[in-house]
Order: sequence, then C-alpha cells, then structure tokens
Amino acid sequence: MEIFQNILNALQFGSFYALIALGYTLVYGVLRLINFAHGDIFMVGAYLAYFVAVTLLGIGGLNLGLHVDPALALAITVPATMILTALVGVTLERTAYRPLRRKGADRLYVVITALMAGLVLENGNLALLGASRKRFPDLIDKVIWNLGGVSVTNLKVVVIVAAIAVFLMLQFIVTRTKIGMAMRGISYDKFAIPLMGIPLDTIIVVTFVLGSAMAGLAGILFAMSYPILEPYMGALIGWKAFIAAVVGGIGDIRGAIVGGFMLGFIEIGVVAVFPSTLRDLFAFSVLLIILWLRPTGIYGVAQTTKI
Amino acid sequence: MNTLLEVKNLKVRYGNIEALHGISFDVKEGEIVTLIGANGAGKSTTLMSICRLPPPEAPRVTEGDILYKGQSLLNMPPHKVVSDLDMALVPEGRRIFGNLTVEENLKLATYARTDGHEHIAQDYERVYQLFPRLAERRKQRSESLSGGEQQMLALGRAIMTKCSFLMLDEPSMGLAPLLMYDMFRTLKELNQGGLTILLIEQNANLALRFAHRGYVLDTGEIVAHGTSEELLADPEVKKAYLGG
Repeated sequence: MEIFQNILNALQFGSFYALIALGYTLVYGVLRLINFAHGDIFMVGAYLAYFVAVTLLGIGGLNLGLHVDPALALAITVPATMILTALVGVTLERTAYRPLRRKGADRLYVVITALMAGLVLENGNLALLGASRKRFPDLIDKVIWNLGGVSVTNLKVVVIVAAIAVFLMLQFIVTRTKIGMAMRGISYDKFAIPLMGIPLDTIIVVTFVLGSAMAGLAGILFAMSYPILEPYMGALIGWKAFIAAVVGGIGDIRGAIVGGFMLGFIEIGVVAVFPSTLRDLFAFSVLLIILWLRPTGIYGVAQTTKI
Repeated sequence: MNTLLEVKNLKVRYGNIEALHGISFDVKEGEIVTLIGANGAGKSTTLMSICRLPPPEAPRVTEGDILYKGQSLLNMPPHKVVSDLDMALVPEGRRIFGNLTVEENLKLATYARTDGHEHIAQDYERVYQLFPRLAERRKQRSESLSGGEQQMLALGRAIMTKCSFLMLDEPSMGLAPLLMYDMFRTLKELNQGGLTILLIEQNANLALRFAHRGYVLDTGEIVAHGTSEELLADPEVKKAYLGG
C-alpha cells in the first residue's frame, strides 16, 4: 500500500509545482521572459492569504472586530488572495517590466530585473514583518479517509483537483479564446498585434493576472498544507517549478503540468528508495538528463528564427 | 471626393537621424495612391508613422501632422488606429502569426470588432471567396503556407479587421509574377468595392499601372507627384524608376 501513498503524495507535491510552473510558462509563452520573481509572488500569495484569513477570523491582521466562521473565511480567502496576488503581479509588470519593454531593453536586462524584483519581495517581507515565522490558521477540519491503508486527506484531494482544474481552464483559454490566440500571437510577433486592433499591454496584463492568481492559489493551498510561512518559502519551490516548466517545455501549458507532476514523482520516488538528503540532488540530476536528451523540453519545439 | 488621409509637412526621426524631411501628401476616398521610391527613401517609415507603431520600433514624429478624416493620429495608440478608425496595414514581410492556424489568424483579426456576428460572418465568407486556397488550408499552421498564400492571409487578416482604408507595404515582394498579378487584381476588385488604398512599392511600373495617383519619394523628400499617367510619361521618373 505504500506505493499508493507515495503516488498520492507525489501528486500533491506535483500539483504545487504545476500551479507555479503554469505562471512561469504563461509569461514566458507571451513575453519570452523568465519571470524569476514568480516564486516570490507565490510567497506573497501565501502571506496575503494569511492576512486575509486572520483578519476574517479576528485573530490578527487588521483589527476589524470580525469573527467569521472558518468555512466562510476560507470561501472569502481563496478569491481575495487570488485577486490580491494578481494585483501584485500586475504591479510588478507595470513598475518593473513595462518601462524596460517601452525602452526596448535587451531580454537579459529584463531577466536581471526579474531576479532583483524577487529579492526585493523577499527582503521587503523580511523588513516589514521581521524574521519570525507566521502560523497559518486552520480553516478546514482535517478529514482523513483510510482507503485500504492509504491515508487520504481532504486537503490533498483539494490540492490535486485544483491543479487539474486550473490546467484545464488555462488550456481552454489559451487554445480556444481570442485572448489566448492573442497571447500566442504575441510570442510569435509582437509587432503585428496592434495591427489587428489588439491592445498589446492589455493582453500582457491579462497574462500576469492569470499567472499571479494561480501562484496566489498555490500560496493559499500550500499554506493550508504546510502552515508555517517564512519570507524565503518561495525561493526553492519557485526554482523547482521553473525547472519543471523548462523540462515540460516552457511556453506550453501542458508542459507545465507534466513537468510539475514529473518532478513530484521523481522527488517522492527518490525519497522512497534513498535517504531524503539525496532528494534534490537526484531530482535535479534526472531533470538535467531529460534536458540533455531533449533540450526544448517534453512539449517544446525549437524556436524557429523569423525573418 | 473627401480627403481621407492628409500628411502635412511630416518630419520623422530614428534616433538622431532624420528619415523624412517634411513630406506632404493626401489620399482621397476611393482612391488608390502609391508611394514609389528606391530602397531607403522613407516609404516604410511613412507607413509606420501613420500606424503609430509602438516604440522602440516606430519612428518618432518631430514635426508636422497626420490627419485621418480631419483627426490627428499623432496621439493615438496604434491599436485604436485599427479598431476605431478602420485603417489597416499589411506590413512588409506579411508578419502573419506563423504559430497559429489560418483560421486563428483570421479570427484574431476580429478581436476588437463590435459590429456583430453577422458582419463578421460575411467578411469570413468574403475572404474565403477571394482566396479559396485559404479555405482549403483553414486548419493548417500558417507558417507552412507558401509565400503567395501568406500574402493572401495577410490581406485576409486586414479585411477581417474591417477596414475602409488599407495600406500595403511591398505586397509584391517575393511573389512570382503570376501570383503578383492575381494579388493586384484582387486589390483592384476591393477598391472598386469602396476600399481606399495606399500602396508602397519598389516595383514602380507595376504600382503606377495599378494606382490612380502617385508620389515619388527620394531620401526623405517628395520629388514628384501626379496622376499615374503623368508620372509614367515623366522623363525624369522614367529614367530613375522605370528603367529608362
């Protein structure tokens, strides 16, 4: 039965990676920009979820004298966190990336800006809230089902279902809607987008809204699963999600979900056999080998040069 | 006839280099007007200035004005020029979205249209009627099209944005003569249906035979203009642009 337990855990971890990887891949797919601040947007999402939740429960945050029922608090916290995190992502785009785009800066400088923006978010959080960790309040009662020796918690099920639902929704948007077509069009030829009567900046903002909202959702689900928050929580998981996106084929939504789940399975698989200290070494080595065999990732296609 | 587009004493810079030294010309409703001139004369720059393409690609207007139906375009964002004024540009090199299918390219061009499904459906029909090849290749990724088909798609896309004023930058480039004549015949048809056309061409002979009027652009200045017949008969123009 241990194998089923491991599969479930791998799916849960994979879901977090996939949710974050989707944000990397969306922004890359549109702007050919690796938004290295995205892992820290996830961290900001977890903190925003924390502040919304404790404010609603009346145990911290803004003292509004509220004492909302935990179930209702959860129902409000999820959309509120997604909206607030999306705003953070859009602000980042406006203040950091858009000015560089306007000036026609080389991509290298935009990537460096993204790395710096991530560090600003981490250290801004540290300066603002101090080094002490925050404990995320319990919003749902943990239910554990025992299915033939495999312990399934309601939270794990929610996390996995959320990742798959988000993937299906984004895949629909990107492949079936005009906004999605515009997103794909930008990646091919930014110049021609306004000639179709399409406001370029609006499409870019939508991209950041989608990516950041999903990072916010990942943030709240992660905080509920592992309720200790600290400013650097987004750094390593962000890197891993980025690598998952690259292995899956960055720029392709399917790649993010496959890469994310694959990383989850590799990590849990390594720990099942070897000491857990070898987890990251093995996981990253396996991913390196995959990239060595297929540099564009699983779903990626080599970018053709344009005239 | 009403003047649709009026370019007045336009001066344009790329960085420190002035590319247009104060050019003036106009296009009236229902006309086909062509700008001819050698490579680097400023033809594409003129079109890019009219379309207000976003910096850093776009040239910077330092003096003069561009009026469309009397309204200045200088402070208008580029997508509004297309969506609100019904102007369209088929750019040099076509710039179709190669990673999208033919159908998706056309659909994307309707993004900002608000005139309802019926009109849009009519335009799809028109495009597929003008270019049956596009209908055959609807589901195909557009980068797999031939050069001629890509040019059809670029023109089809312009039609799908609902345009009453069409600008074309070197549509004959890279096309075999037969396809080129087909393309110009189609443009003539569209013009007879009420579309106003501003055409940029290096192939001056072809352009003047097709257009009603023409302007000759030389290193950022207009050096001659007149009806096509006048320009075709002008000895100077003949010598410089029509191969003797």
